[in-house]
Amino acid sequence: MLFTSFTNIFITNDEIDKIDLAFFAKSILKNILILQSNYKNKQQTNIMEHTENSLSKLKNYKLDFHGNGSDFFGILIVNWLLTIVTLGFYYPWAKAKKLQYLYGETSLNEDRFEFHGTGKEMFKGFIKAIGLFIALYGVLLFFMYLEMPAIGLILFYLAFFAVLPVAIHGSYKYRMSRTSWRGIRFGYRGDRNELVKNFFKWIGLTIVTFGIYGSWLAMNLRSYIIGNIKFGDIEMKYKGDGGDYLLMNIKGYFLTIITLGIYMFWWQKDMFDYYINNLSLHKDDEKIELESTVTGGEIFTLSIVNVLILIFTLGLGSAWVEVRTMKYLLSNIHLEGTIDLDTIKQTEENYKDATGEDIEDMLEMDFVM
Amino acid sequence: MIIKTAAVYFDGESSTPQNVELFLDKNKEIFYFETQKNDWINWGIKESDFKQKSDSFIIQNKEDVSKSIIIKDSLFINNLKAYLKETGNVSWHQKLINLGFKVHSVIAITILGFIGLSYLYIMPYIAEKAVVLVPESYDTNLGNLVSKQSLMTNTVDSVKSEKLNQFAKELKLNNNKNLHFTVVNSDIVNAYALPNGDIVVFSGILDAMKDYDELVALIGHEVSHVNNRDSMKMLCRNLSGYLFVSAILGDTNGIMAIIGDNANTLQSLSFSRKFEHQADIEGFQILITNHVNPKGMSNLFKRLQEDKSDFSIPEFLSSHPITTERINDVEKMIQSKSFSVNDNPKLKTLFEEIKQ
Repeated sequence: MLFTSFTNIFITNDEIDKIDLAFFAKSILKNILILQSNYKNKQQTNIMEHTENSLSKLKNYKLDFHGNGSDFFGILIVNWLLTIVTLGFYYPWAKAKKLQYLYGETSLNEDRFEFHGTGKEMFKGFIKAIGLFIALYGVLLFFMYLEMPAIGLILFYLAFFAVLPVAIHGSYKYRMSRTSWRGIRFGYRGDRNELVKNFFKWIGLTIVTFGIYGSWLAMNLRSYIIGNIKFGDIEMKYKGDGGDYLLMNIKGYFLTIITLGIYMFWWQKDMFDYYINNLSLHKDDEKIELESTVTGGEIFTLSIVNVLILIFTLGLGSAWVEVRTMKYLLSNIHLEGTIDLDTIKQTEENYKDATGEDIEDMLEMDFVM
Repeated sequence: MIIKTAAVYFDGESSTPQNVELFLDKNKEIFYFETQKNDWINWGIKESDFKQKSDSFIIQNKEDVSKSIIIKDSLFINNLKAYLKETGNVSWHQKLINLGFKVHSVIAITILGFIGLSYLYIMPYIAEKAVVLVPESYDTNLGNLVSKQSLMTNTVDSVKSEKLNQFAKELKLNNNKNLHFTVVNSDIVNAYALPNGDIVVFSGILDAMKDYDELVALIGHEVSHVNNRDSMKMLCRNLSGYLFVSAILGDTNGIMAIIGDNANTLQSLSFSRKFEHQADIEGFQILITNHVNPKGMSNLFKRLQEDKSDFSIPEFLSSHPITTERINDVEKMIQSKSFSVNDNPKLKTLFEEIKQ
């Protein structure tokens, strides 16, 4: 009898009473069952509480890229044609069209981002940027004419380095102000003088430490810039650390050498993860954390196929390459948090000066975002 | 005529989506709708921007682009698109985009073909002509720089160099620059000319030679390179090719730049074959002018051919036209041209001394 009752899995309290058992065995069994059912109940209420919490607080977010190769190809080819026909003067308009497409096909919760920058704004910036460079070279030539080339060169490089943070500042101010989602503008509120001061300090430390501080330079710059980006009344934060970044890059560098380059893709994954996972959005007490789910293997496949596309299409496939890459990266960024995206308020001003954007373009700087 | 659809409106003040009923009055050319705050809003067609996305259509107010309406009703979208087309409200850029994938591909291939043609024919032509603009003093400076650098890492045989210079002095070379010959101790079966008139001959090729006419052929060939400023032409070509390729590929990416760069190297290699051929013809002429047996030139090429290290390089990758072809060319010239050969004991003696 004892044996049969123990083998019965669907045992109930009533059944136990019916079984003629020794008192201690009966009580032990009862106690176990009570404990078990208590635990089950507790667990159930926990789950229910948790689901209730997340239903009321955790929101669903989805980043995606909807672009397709042949549409983007059309944009690029028309850009190409017009740039050639206008002997290059169409370039700012071409850049605007390209950015408008790429932003416009990126969605957050099915609504598209938008880039409102125009070729006209960027052309004005382009002219100012050219003017600035002519002025810089003019100063250099003037001092060479005065037969003081050393002073000329020092001034030239000082001015050149001073232009870098000013360009970064201007570029973000412009690019963010011309970017929106559901009509809510992004904005960059960094202080130019503060950035210039910090930038010189970080560059100085990088030179003094023979480049080692470069890792902190990169992270500090990123933290400063991202920390000053607003998306309506949502604030952004980046919490990367120069030391961690340095270690990650040292590891990536040596493993890439040891594996004859194969580790490179996993190094890229680490870098992407480090960028994305340290990003967060904040609004009052609520926040959204970003998480990357890219893998080294997938980046490897993506890159190999991209290279093959480029080679076999003589570069014409670059539209598909860019679209594939965007799609892969964006669909592998997951957002989790409690900010209600339906209640963002417009807070940022319009800003139309694209000079910084164009200086950055001319210097081919792409190192922050 | 008035058509309507369900749409979502963003008012540029908050991100709250507002479901609205959007009306389009085709006669009055306006959109109008009632916001959730019960305001009626009118937008003229001319005051609106239109953006086609892969699954939706966006209408924006030109004055304030943060105000926008999103339509997902494909029937309404098609109707609206047809209407905009009829009334001439499609921008020329949108028209170019609307040409479609096939036309875009044709445009792309045409541009690519045009770039290819200008890269192969127009650019090198211009670059070569542009050499005239480069002062000769630049050739000299560049040559001096390279010769300083390359001779630093090699051992110069000064006795043989002296003899070689004497040998060259005995020849009529039509040179427009002062020539200076250097013999470098090395197994390499080759020689090269620098733009400043420095000609470097490796002892490897001297060892392989059997008669002085071969040395005259070699000198004649290299002098022709100097006279024609071939190095400077090559430099201009490579540089212009590189600039051209990077300008075209400028805004793509690093990988493309590398591919482009390598393509450029291959291209400049086969370009240089034209120069080699020219130098062969002029070298042949120098042999005839000096009454030296032109057979020396084909013999010289046979020495190159015998050199095992040079053997396996296919024509496409080699900067010299394949040696058999060059030998045939010389044989043809020997048959077609009249010449007289006089034995030159002085050259013979000097050649013997260099060979020692």
